[in-house]
Amino acid sequence: MTAVTEQPAEPTAGAAPAKPGRNWTTKVGLDKYSALYLWALFMIVFSFTSEQFLTWTSIRLVVTEKVIVGVLALAFLVPLAANTFDLSIGHMMGFSLVITSVIARDHPDIPQVVGALIALAACAIAGFLSGLIVVKLKVNSFIATLGMSQVLAALTLLFSGNRQISAVFTDSYRNLGLKPIFDLPLYFYYLVILAVIVWFVLEHTATGRYLFATGGNYEAARLAGVKTDRYVWGSLVVSALIGGFAGLIQSWKTGLFGNDVGPGFLFPAIAAVFFGASQLRNRPNVWGSMIAVLTLAFGVKGLQLTFTGGSKPWIEPLFEGVSLLIAVAFASRQGIIKIPKRKVAAKS
Amino acid sequence: MQPLLTIEHLSKVFPGQVALDDVQLEIKAGSTHALVGQNGSGKSTLIKILAGYHEPTGEPVAVFHRPDGADEPLALGDGGAADAAGIRFVHQDLGLVDTVSTVENLALGGGYRTRFGRISWKAETRRAIADLTELGFDDFDVRAPVGALAPSQKTAVALARALRGWENGARLLVLDEPTASLPGADVARLFDAIRRVKERGVAILYVSHHLEEVFEIADEVTILRDGKNVATMPIGELDHERLIELMVGHVVERRRAVISSERGSVLLDAHQLSGGNVRVLDVQVHAGEVVGVAGITGSGREHVIPLVTGQIPSNDGRLYVGDAEVPPFSPRAAIAAGMAFVSADRQRQGNFATLSVTANTTMSDVKRNSQGPRLVHSKERAEAEGWVSKLRTKTSSTEAPMATLSGGNQQKVLFARGLRLKPKVIVLDEPTRGIDVGAKEEIHSLIDQAAAEGSAVLVASTDTEELVRLSHRILILRDGVIATELLGDEITVENIERAQLQQQTKSKVSHS
Repeated sequence: MTAVTEQPAEPTAGAAPAKPGRNWTTKVGLDKYSALYLWALFMIVFSFTSEQFLTWTSIRLVVTEKVIVGVLALAFLVPLAANTFDLSIGHMMGFSLVITSVIARDHPDIPQVVGALIALAACAIAGFLSGLIVVKLKVNSFIATLGMSQVLAALTLLFSGNRQISAVFTDSYRNLGLKPIFDLPLYFYYLVILAVIVWFVLEHTATGRYLFATGGNYEAARLAGVKTDRYVWGSLVVSALIGGFAGLIQSWKTGLFGNDVGPGFLFPAIAAVFFGASQLRNRPNVWGSMIAVLTLAFGVKGLQLTFTGGSKPWIEPLFEGVSLLIAVAFASRQGIIKIPKRKVAAKS
Repeated sequence: MQPLLTIEHLSKVFPGQVALDDVQLEIKAGSTHALVGQNGSGKSTLIKILAGYHEPTGEPVAVFHRPDGADEPLALGDGGAADAAGIRFVHQDLGLVDTVSTVENLALGGGYRTRFGRISWKAETRRAIADLTELGFDDFDVRAPVGALAPSQKTAVALARALRGWENGARLLVLDEPTASLPGADVARLFDAIRRVKERGVAILYVSHHLEEVFEIADEVTILRDGKNVATMPIGELDHERLIELMVGHVVERRRAVISSERGSVLLDAHQLSGGNVRVLDVQVHAGEVVGVAGITGSGREHVIPLVTGQIPSNDGRLYVGDAEVPPFSPRAAIAAGMAFVSADRQRQGNFATLSVTANTTMSDVKRNSQGPRLVHSKERAEAEGWVSKLRTKTSSTEAPMATLSGGNQQKVLFARGLRLKPKVIVLDEPTRGIDVGAKEEIHSLIDQAAAEGSAVLVASTDTEELVRLSHRILILRDGVIATELLGDEITVENIERAQLQQQTKSKVSHS
């Protein structure tokens, strides 16, 4: 004998959640695919304003130029899924590059690939230490990785002696990244492979689910039996490794170490991830980030070709900064519209 | 009695949902008016319109009737107008700043008494003491951080803040679920404070899920169902069953747990366990048995479930699930040993608000639906859909974010998360806090069913009626130990309340 004689006839609030506003912006997918629309717009507009824009040479240039930003965006994305910020990825890239370069210069007996692997190992250790500081010492990841980035900057200066290191890599080593397939260097394909791996892990494995759970509600995840600390920690090691890998790409691409390489890529990478978080689905995601990288890159290229007939360096940060602000404002405006509706539906 | 506030033709339409449909409300001067209804009945919307958070749809008429006979219209949906008209609010979460003192909390809203431009803390402190004494709370340190106060004291601080300067204007005090987490004895103190407010001539609009409170404190009651005004009547013309019937629209049969004649084997065994406010906990729960845990806040009741589930560290003692000893301070180990639990704070400890119902359901064992490393999303969804239909969870889809569900339905998802593990032991803390009557009974049936299927259930609650409804055996904690154990016919609300109340005299001593 159950105690409820029958279901209440009237639906409670949860039965009919307020439908999302079906205005024209959502109908054409402007909320989820704004970057794709923007990209298409750039392609059309700039193909009229600049003859060089829609040529394979400039497309190839844009794509290869932005591989490092794409890789660092993935590095930023992994811990961000667990609501953990890694601001050291730019310096991590420089750190990896200096180790690879110094080993190549000072130890010609060591195969340069092994030097690259040593660099990755060093990055993993640095990421492990960041994790230790975040998890064990309970320092906010924002602060912990900001601090770590300066330690890495110091080590980079120490190893390089504050000098540029050039022409130390062998052709066979650089070919690991430069060998072209279909007129695009190998390192471009490395990014594609890495993106597929990160996408698969985040979206289609238990590990990804645990990362998003940890990021969504740390305490609830812990109480559901998720090893939250381990995922935060692990995500920082992974981001360090990916950041280090970006350093290797730089070593293949330019074969050059300079003290200022690395940190400059941090902003565009973060911008791409946040811009990308408003794309496709309402959370940080791999393809949204990748689309954001390319959209921003083509926008910058088009503007540079159109208005200055070449390169005016200030266009890039200005465009990326403004785009980020607009994209995030747009996304959060969508969020703000949702909030009161959600509150109505969940009257607990 | 003269009417104080009359509201007519109040409607509110949200996209796809009519929250309020031509509702009227008349609150008499100097009376306590209860507003009841299930979740989704529209009472939260009504309160939010009064507070100016929502704008009403259409042209409602709202009028304050002054004692001199003059009428003064009230603009609904305007927070400033409501405040100017003398409507004050104490919301469920109280809105206090835990880290600063009572004096500062009171001053935050109303401004400071100054001396040569400098805040005069002496004057502020005197004023805080005076305000709280008027509410019958003269027994705590107004300079201590609010976070350290007992729940009833916090509520009193919130009341005092809402009423600041009541002499010049407060006419209607709106209390939204003020007892949501108050144990029985504290409720009595709060009611005393409310009566004192009423004696000053301030009318009270009292919103609560706890119907026994409505009978105790209210003069009149307005019942909302499905956005419509079902009835407004003096409380004397209603009894408990009739009120529930009006709220739910059909008769909910109240049922006492049946005492099973034979008990199964011991599945949960706590041996001299201690930690938090719990000094010693010795309890054995058998298969098929539901053991209730009662006690006022501070008695240790609030730490029994966190201790047993490993959310807080233990000082001493052992815990067994079945034959396996569970290491302390590890929720993960407790789950692995066969324990499922639902914590008290749904938002903080249970929900993944942005993740889907599916992800929320399967979180307890994600890998079950994996093929190699790959999660098979179709399998996950099928499992979640199974639970949604089994527990009659109301959601637009299993892919809807958890945040779009109502509290009762979120709780069902959290139950599914635990039940899918086929647990030996189920441990629940406040299983129906903030959930409407209909969903509450459904959750209670789930608990019955889980016990009938052979789980051992331990449930702590501040809702005494709930414990009576569910338990085969009730443990009442006082001063960190099990002081009273009730069995069979001894299990009554009165016995539980009395056993808890013995604490009150003691705690009064310790507070002063």
